[in-house]
Amino acid sequence: MWDGIVIGGGLSGLIAGIRASEKGKRMLVISEGVGSLTYSSGVMDFGDVERLKEEKNHPYALMGETVVRAGMEYFQRLFPDYQGAWQNSQQVLTPLGSPREADLVPTGLNAGVLQKAKEIVLIAPEGMKDFFPEVIKAKLERVYSKAKIEIYPVAVEAFDIWRNSGKLITGMDYAKYWRSDQGAVNLKNILGKLTEEMACSSSGATSGEKQGEKSAIIFPGLAACFSNVLKGVLEEVPLPIVEMTAFPPSASGQFLYEALKQKFKALGGELLVGTGVKKVEFQGKRCHTVIVKSKGKDVTFSAQSFILATGGIFGGGIQVGPKDANESVMGLPLYVPAQWTNSEFLGEQPYAKMGVEVDPELRPLAAGNQEPLFDNVRIVGRLLAHWDPWLDHCGGGVSLASGWLAGEIL
Amino acid sequence: MDLKQDNVKNLDACIKCSACTALCPVAAVNPLFPGPKSVGPDAERFRLEGIEMDIKCLNYCSNCKTCEVTCPSGVRITSMILGARERAKQSKHSDGKTLQHRFRDLVLGRAEYLGRLGTIWPSMTNTVLSISLMRVLMEQILGLSRHAPLPSYHTKFKPQGSFVQSDKQVVYFPGCFAKYNDAQTAQAVVKVLEHNGYQVIVPNFHCCGVPLQANGYFSRGRENAKKNLALMEPYLKAGLPVITSCTSCGLALKEEYPELAAAGAEYIGQQTYDLFEFLWELHERGELREDFQSVPVSLGYHAPCHLKTQGIGTPSVRLLRLIPGVQIQDLDAGCCGLSGSYGFKEEKYDIAMQIGKPLYQSVQQGVAEGRFQTMTTECGGCQVQIQHGSGVKTEHPVWYLIRAYDL
Repeated sequence: MWDGIVIGGGLSGLIAGIRASEKGKRMLVISEGVGSLTYSSGVMDFGDVERLKEEKNHPYALMGETVVRAGMEYFQRLFPDYQGAWQNSQQVLTPLGSPREADLVPTGLNAGVLQKAKEIVLIAPEGMKDFFPEVIKAKLERVYSKAKIEIYPVAVEAFDIWRNSGKLITGMDYAKYWRSDQGAVNLKNILGKLTEEMACSSSGATSGEKQGEKSAIIFPGLAACFSNVLKGVLEEVPLPIVEMTAFPPSASGQFLYEALKQKFKALGGELLVGTGVKKVEFQGKRCHTVIVKSKGKDVTFSAQSFILATGGIFGGGIQVGPKDANESVMGLPLYVPAQWTNSEFLGEQPYAKMGVEVDPELRPLAAGNQEPLFDNVRIVGRLLAHWDPWLDHCGGGVSLASGWLAGEIL
Repeated sequence: MDLKQDNVKNLDACIKCSACTALCPVAAVNPLFPGPKSVGPDAERFRLEGIEMDIKCLNYCSNCKTCEVTCPSGVRITSMILGARERAKQSKHSDGKTLQHRFRDLVLGRAEYLGRLGTIWPSMTNTVLSISLMRVLMEQILGLSRHAPLPSYHTKFKPQGSFVQSDKQVVYFPGCFAKYNDAQTAQAVVKVLEHNGYQVIVPNFHCCGVPLQANGYFSRGRENAKKNLALMEPYLKAGLPVITSCTSCGLALKEEYPELAAAGAEYIGQQTYDLFEFLWELHERGELREDFQSVPVSLGYHAPCHLKTQGIGTPSVRLLRLIPGVQIQDLDAGCCGLSGSYGFKEEKYDIAMQIGKPLYQSVQQGVAEGRFQTMTTECGGCQVQIQHGSGVKTEHPVWYLIRAYDL
């Protein structure tokens, strides 16, 4: 018998598992695949909390500002490599080079320094998939119009065979390479050579310090977060180095996933990845057992409490048919808007607000009823109803706050 | 055929997110392997139209199944790759192997015959295998890397001692590694089960078939499986559980045996248990003997790939934590690299060592920092490879139960 079982191993599920384990609970996380963090940029958006907490039914309104703040503080306590402050957003670069706002940002991704730069060098790792240096350069020239943008190609010998054999090198492959012993040494050399060249070329430049004030390097395919070796290498460079967010699979998202798993396991939690929950058994208002599709046969796990963190439509927590939508594990009632879509592609899409309605303790509710359906089931993350991560930019905030809260009250 | 329909369904489930390739241990270190997405679902579309890709690419897959565990959409990527390999083997196209490698794979696939041979005079076998000139010759003649940590042979496992007579019975499937290379561990498994009041039945099983399949001998692998099923069938019909202590044998029994058209196939998946999965169920039912003595030891744990694929979590970690004094942490540092016999091959030895490097480093670091003293993992191959790569002693977790029970 477990104290708690979390179904879903993404951001909110793992945060819930970590918080509960930290409080001494025996926790099991069951996850169909590796969760969607590999797809994510790895930065956390909280959105306009002041406004969203007043929006009827929004998860922020339900949980309250204190909980949202607690979620943010907890995450930063777990991962000091993430920087940011309450409602004081920072800038990060999208994979195409546009700056965008974000609240919690891993070391290295903060692009604020580019605003003052007179000279920006964009590193172009040779043969990197989904990386378009000319497009990025054009974008940077428009956004940072005072700066001179230069593309600086970097070829890594270790990838020569990859290029010659036509194998794609993703940003994740580069990021992993820089983290290797050999890669870190190579990175140090490349950056040493580059800063030297930049110092020579900048007319009348005197000290490295001055240079640092007006020059910056953008380095895609590099993720120094959680790597002390890489952070050490970058600290020695006299110029600021700005990383970029990436298209999936994203190194920053993946390294965060690894860090969350490590933390959870170090606290004694167990992670079962690769199989989904087939069936859930209830008795009255309590859930007591989940049945997992393991190889050859079903395996049952019983617990005192359950946390449902299976995600929304993309994550697989909600299954949508031509006419209906269902919660995929427990068959919980969903809030489904009357009109699902809007003809304006990038406009508000009502289906985004599909999800499970909950009480302030995150227990699922039936439509129009304030009495929880189950006493020991809590809903976290994308599966919650009445929020739109794309319009409200609050995906990280809702996941961290609800994950923390569920773990806290388990 | 239904199979084709399934493939089509699986192909549509793949949303091309590349998570499998990003986490594939082989693709990360081998520039010639495009990754599971490319040789799996991507190439499958062409294969369904009769267009085959370079078969050498398929042979780089180590069958660790990390891609299947990773896939957020449940696509059976490794099965697709193995299926393509088998069809390629049957077709008239060359399988891209040299004659030497074909002969080597014929040998490596036959863990059972090697075991029988090696255990005729184990000390002699081990002496011969430890001569470096011999290893150089084996590399040149057989394509077996001279650096590879070939396991040593011991007296063949024969269930011995006082047979407990009980109405509680289990069948034990030791697997070739325990049978020929590590009979003491097989004996330890029997002792632990007997200590819990079970009579342990060990028919004279053949190799489970995984090494044959991994080396390209698919139909011979299935023949072995059918022979084993025939040996098990009466016990399966009587409702007896089949216990494995090797995670690859366990996975084969659970995943592949049920797909065979043979008597007993309908029961085998349902009735196969990993040793610790079985013991944990006993614990949950209150039937496990828990008169444990304190075992003051701190362990690093490595979850074998084929245990992860079973979808039962890590029951050995759970169970060892019940023993007073045992500290155990799951390192979660990826595949050890060996993948059965993959890392023994001369052209793949370096790849295997690179795959396992993060794990070896994590093991060495953990020991150096005093976080744990020694390693434990269920898989015999992983044990050999972790010891080889990190120099840290690695044993099957059953040995801590033996100490806790004072057997």
